Amino acid sequence: MALPEMTYVRAKSLDEACKYASENSARTAVIAGGTDVILQTKELVLQNMGIDTLLDIKEIPGLNRLDFVEGEGLKIGSLTKLYDIQSSEIVKEHIPAVAYAAHYVASPQVRRKGTMAGNICNASPSADTASILLAMNAVIKTHSVKGDREIPMSEFFQGFKKTAIDKEAGEIVTEIDIPELKKGEGSAYFKHAIRKAMDLAIIGVAAWVRMDGNKIEDVRLAVGGAAITPIRLPEAEAILKGNELSDELLEKAGVKASQEISPISDVRASAEYRTDMVRVYTKRAVNKAVETMR
Amino acid sequence: MATEQQKYYADIKNVYKKPEEYTLAGKGNAYVRIDAEAKVTGNAIYTDDVYLPDTWYCKLVHSPYAHAIIKSIDFTEALKVPGVKATLTGADFPEGHNLGNPEAFKELADKEPLCRKKVRMEGDEVAAVCATTEEAATEAARLVKVEYEPLPVILDPFDAMKVDAEPIHYPPDQPGTASNLSIFTVMHAGDPDKAFEEADYTDEHYYKTQEIVHSAIEPHGAIAKYENGEWTVWTTTQGAYVSRYWIAWGLGVPESRVRVIKPMVGGGFGGKLDVFAHELCPCKFSQMTGHPVKCILKRDEVFKCTRTRHPISFKIESAFTKEGKLLAKRCTHILDGGAYGGSGIAANTLSLICATFPYKVENIDMVARRPYTNHPASGAMRGYSACQVHFAHEIHMDEAANDLGIDPLELRHINQITPYYTGPTGLEFTSCRFKECLDAVADYIDWEHRDRYPFGSGEAIGISGSGFMSGTGFPVLVTPHYCSSATMVRLNREGYAVVFSGANDIGQGCDTVMTMIVAEELGLNMDEVKLIQSDTTTTPWDAGSFGSRVTFLAGNACRRAVGDAKWKLLSSWAEEWGCKPQDIKMEDHRVFLPGDSEKNISYNEACFGYEEKNFGKCVAGVGSFCHEGDKDIYVKNVGNYATAYSFSASGAKVKVDMETGQIELEDFVFGHDCGRPLNIRAVEGQIEGSVLLGYGFSCYEECQYDENGKHLNPSFRDYRFPTALDMPKMKTIICSEYDEEGPMGAKEAGEGSTAPVGSAIGNAINYATGLTMRELPITPERIWRALREHEKTGKTAFGAEDLKEKFAAMPPLPQRYDV
Amino acid sequence: MAKRIIKFKLNGEDIETICQDNITMVDFLRKDMHLTGTKRGCEEGECGACTILLDGRAVDSCLMLAAEADGHEITTIEGVRRGGQLHPIQQEFIDKWALQCGFCTPGMIMSALSLLNENPHPTEHEIRDAISGNLCRCTGYAKIVEAIDAAAEKLAKEVAE
Repeated sequence: MALPEMTYVRAKSLDEACKYASENSARTAVIAGGTDVILQTKELVLQNMGIDTLLDIKEIPGLNRLDFVEGEGLKIGSLTKLYDIQSSEIVKEHIPAVAYAAHYVASPQVRRKGTMAGNICNASPSADTASILLAMNAVIKTHSVKGDREIPMSEFFQGFKKTAIDKEAGEIVTEIDIPELKKGEGSAYFKHAIRKAMDLAIIGVAAWVRMDGNKIEDVRLAVGGAAITPIRLPEAEAILKGNELSDELLEKAGVKASQEISPISDVRASAEYRTDMVRVYTKRAVNKAVETMR
Repeated sequence: MATEQQKYYADIKNVYKKPEEYTLAGKGNAYVRIDAEAKVTGNAIYTDDVYLPDTWYCKLVHSPYAHAIIKSIDFTEALKVPGVKATLTGADFPEGHNLGNPEAFKELADKEPLCRKKVRMEGDEVAAVCATTEEAATEAARLVKVEYEPLPVILDPFDAMKVDAEPIHYPPDQPGTASNLSIFTVMHAGDPDKAFEEADYTDEHYYKTQEIVHSAIEPHGAIAKYENGEWTVWTTTQGAYVSRYWIAWGLGVPESRVRVIKPMVGGGFGGKLDVFAHELCPCKFSQMTGHPVKCILKRDEVFKCTRTRHPISFKIESAFTKEGKLLAKRCTHILDGGAYGGSGIAANTLSLICATFPYKVENIDMVARRPYTNHPASGAMRGYSACQVHFAHEIHMDEAANDLGIDPLELRHINQITPYYTGPTGLEFTSCRFKECLDAVADYIDWEHRDRYPFGSGEAIGISGSGFMSGTGFPVLVTPHYCSSATMVRLNREGYAVVFSGANDIGQGCDTVMTMIVAEELGLNMDEVKLIQSDTTTTPWDAGSFGSRVTFLAGNACRRAVGDAKWKLLSSWAEEWGCKPQDIKMEDHRVFLPGDSEKNISYNEACFGYEEKNFGKCVAGVGSFCHEGDKDIYVKNVGNYATAYSFSASGAKVKVDMETGQIELEDFVFGHDCGRPLNIRAVEGQIEGSVLLGYGFSCYEECQYDENGKHLNPSFRDYRFPTALDMPKMKTIICSEYDEEGPMGAKEAGEGSTAPVGSAIGNAINYATGLTMRELPITPERIWRALREHEKTGKTAFGAEDLKEKFAAMPPLPQRYDV
Repeated sequence: MAKRIIKFKLNGEDIETICQDNITMVDFLRKDMHLTGTKRGCEEGECGACTILLDGRAVDSCLMLAAEADGHEITTIEGVRRGGQLHPIQQEFIDKWALQCGFCTPGMIMSALSLLNENPHPTEHEIRDAISGNLCRCTGYAKIVEAIDAAAEKLAKEVAE
């Protein structure tokens, strides 16, 4: 397919990339895997925004780590491919729900090129990895002409397709840090889609819990596809927190979860269906998180 | 009783191999596809792979409106794009030369190559640009300014038929009758009124199916070259001769000036039968510029501008005795024709024919109407009309069985068609193993113990049955025998043969079948038979790949062609050896009289000797096969429609998540009566692909539109068909016998196999959920909605709820045909 | 029109050539490199017909710019043959009738190749997962899965020998 006229720039270092992105912020889109951005180029989304330059950061050295630091958690470089996250023994061992969520993004071909950082920077309301990162309280590390910064995942999404990334400063995600699961903690992600692969989520629900016996000591719930950005579900969390886990409690939390979202109707599903699926999958995600806790 | 055709070819039949002598046909996996190596290496040439020097590119300009008047077209900005060379509008094509599909119904051809005054669907082609690169053509097409005056958009076929509806093509010729009818069809036999009166049980149900798209992975496209006053067109077609006819007509030139070559085609499923703007415009541009010009559609263009499967609304009434004998059926099928006719005008008759089998029903009263709407044009699609009809009628069969208190399998057995039955409208069935198909499927899926899954438990099995024509009689072009095939075979003294086959391989593997038939009869290896692919200059007439006709008609034509060559060769040697031609065998490169070691020569020697005796004339054979039904079947709807009929049954095991509606198709079994399978893996492949199509049709796929007729999901992202992870375990059981008239005993396997898939899945879902879903697709959300409503209100049947009222309010048909 | 010189390995050969900044890999392969085995099915990363290997791993070449290949290794279906012989995956696709129209076949084979590079002993589910980004409208995937499974076995035997 013919793409509109544009310039491709390959950055060799992080500082060079930030400087370029800052100086040309209005006309530049940053690509790592590029799978979302190239598609948007074809659809003229970027052209209509005045963007005519793609800044490729994937050759910048040092941004593709994937390891686990005892006492801290998973460190995922911004250039680490989703496919490597999904198949990493480290990820599967320490936070399996992250591997699971990565596995559900688009197709194997896209995951071999696309990154987790790209998945969240694209800020699709139903991005598969966003919910689990929210539930896990991940931290997004960035670099810009202003220096380094850490953005809590809870502050990353700012509006429809809008993130906290400071484009004018040429800010670029360098790493995603996901806190480790301690004893008594577990997490889970469920994607509800029509197809088992290559599909966008109708909704996706992630849960993180800390249990004390059968009591839910702490919990974080996040949902994608149910609002203009992936969001946390604080009211449902409040219902669960400090209470003994039971089917009744889960149902109550599920109902609450379905009340604190604002889904839309589109070609994939109606708002009503999304609403009820958030109820169902909130329950399932908490259950799975408890079942698989450390 | 032998027909005239059989008598004509009687001699040749003498030298055919006997089934027990076959070394290739039906022998497990004795051979592979002739195109397989080219396809696995990337060497196979499809239309988009035809790169001619100095090729320019064509891009079409589409209407954003589903119904509008074209006020003006302005190319000023488009022409400023560097590399743009030429433009076209509807006025550049001869007026009145509209595109259609059946030549005999040419007055119904209604698609202008480019719209002149009016657009009737979103995506209708209004202009075209030609540029030196695809990029420039794309950019220029974007800059063509077209001014429209929007008209009311009609998307519901019942709205389209209202007497005061806005005419999409023309107003009704009899005021007060249904508007916007593209075609309507009536079929009547026996005394249905009396049967309904006398029946113990009658019912009336409504069903609805949706619009889906063929979704061949290869998009449509063409490349045209103009030279010496002639066009050569490589195009994604299912019928090179039919394409040639309509391309020539659209250009207003004699067919002798157009050559159509069918390269490899990346799937058709019925979507590549019609002729489109993307074929006509490159022709025109190549004539204007002297360059070869290519036009390959983008995926969204394929969705919007090619063809779709007819959505059908059904009203079905049936009459049974209390013992379960089906006495009569009354039904009305309303087919949403979309904006144009084309291959779609066959849909009505097919929908009615399909409703008369696979069960015996002597009294019928059936009407099909195909109104135009502002949806994309509906056309032929694999299992043409049968998939929709067998969904509705087979779900209905289970409903009737349960109402009658008869096991649904038993009810099917009571009414199943048996061998050599003749239907009430004259369908002449030959070999038939429908009973065996049903039994095999029931056995595999353990129907007897179906109670192991309690009703409404979220888990269940379902079955269904169907039949299909093997070798349609549909007359596309007016030829001496309408739906015929012809083949030529040349024997070469250097140890090989060449087959010139007009059959159009679109992926189903017919080129391999033709090669196998020739190799089998001549005792050669597969690679010693060279096949020339469908090309209107080099290969003889063939109607195309549709109606599951290729194996039966072209296969028989091919066998007669090689038989003709063999007869000539062996007659010559019989004279030499003092025996009868049929005494001589051809096996393993030898031509010999069994039991006489003196009379045993090589294939090469045999051909050499023939040429020696005949002044250098090579051995060549010509063969044909034609359907012998009534040419007017489409007008009268009485008579035999196909050369044979295939039968099938299927069984599905599903699990439904009762909270979310998510469907898991766990197991699928298919029993098929396809005659003698010429290659078991090829037949399995057809069936496994059919299951994918049927599963997509029943649970996944649907074209969605907004109220203005704008397509909401023209991409594989939002229009989903199953991936490898979604497909179930599949089991194919061949329940066939040798069909006397089929080539080497074969019938069809390509289309009939799609027909019973959706209904088996639908029936299984209905037992799993404890509900009756009467409308496709049965998506998780639809199931969820039905389950929740059932909890609240106790309602058990869902879908098509609007139809009773709509059918009742339907305006009458024009007088002369009304019944 | 922005252009650049790129150096990369294409099917084992070192290539140095000029490409436009805005050309996708699939168009570059087909139009500039004359390698038409890589197919254009949807051009939006949804069908997998254009699958190639980038540094040995399957990616959609419609969601990649040609310029991104600079310094990398690209393998297309034309580069799958080994020393004039068909690759076992290709041979099994032929023997198992794992193709019909063949339009998805090159992409399917590239995905299979990538899988077997990464995981020489895949389960049936892993095979299905690996080709879940490759749509096929003809086969229902059954024979494709069978062919990849057989090829894995054949390759494992080769390694053992």
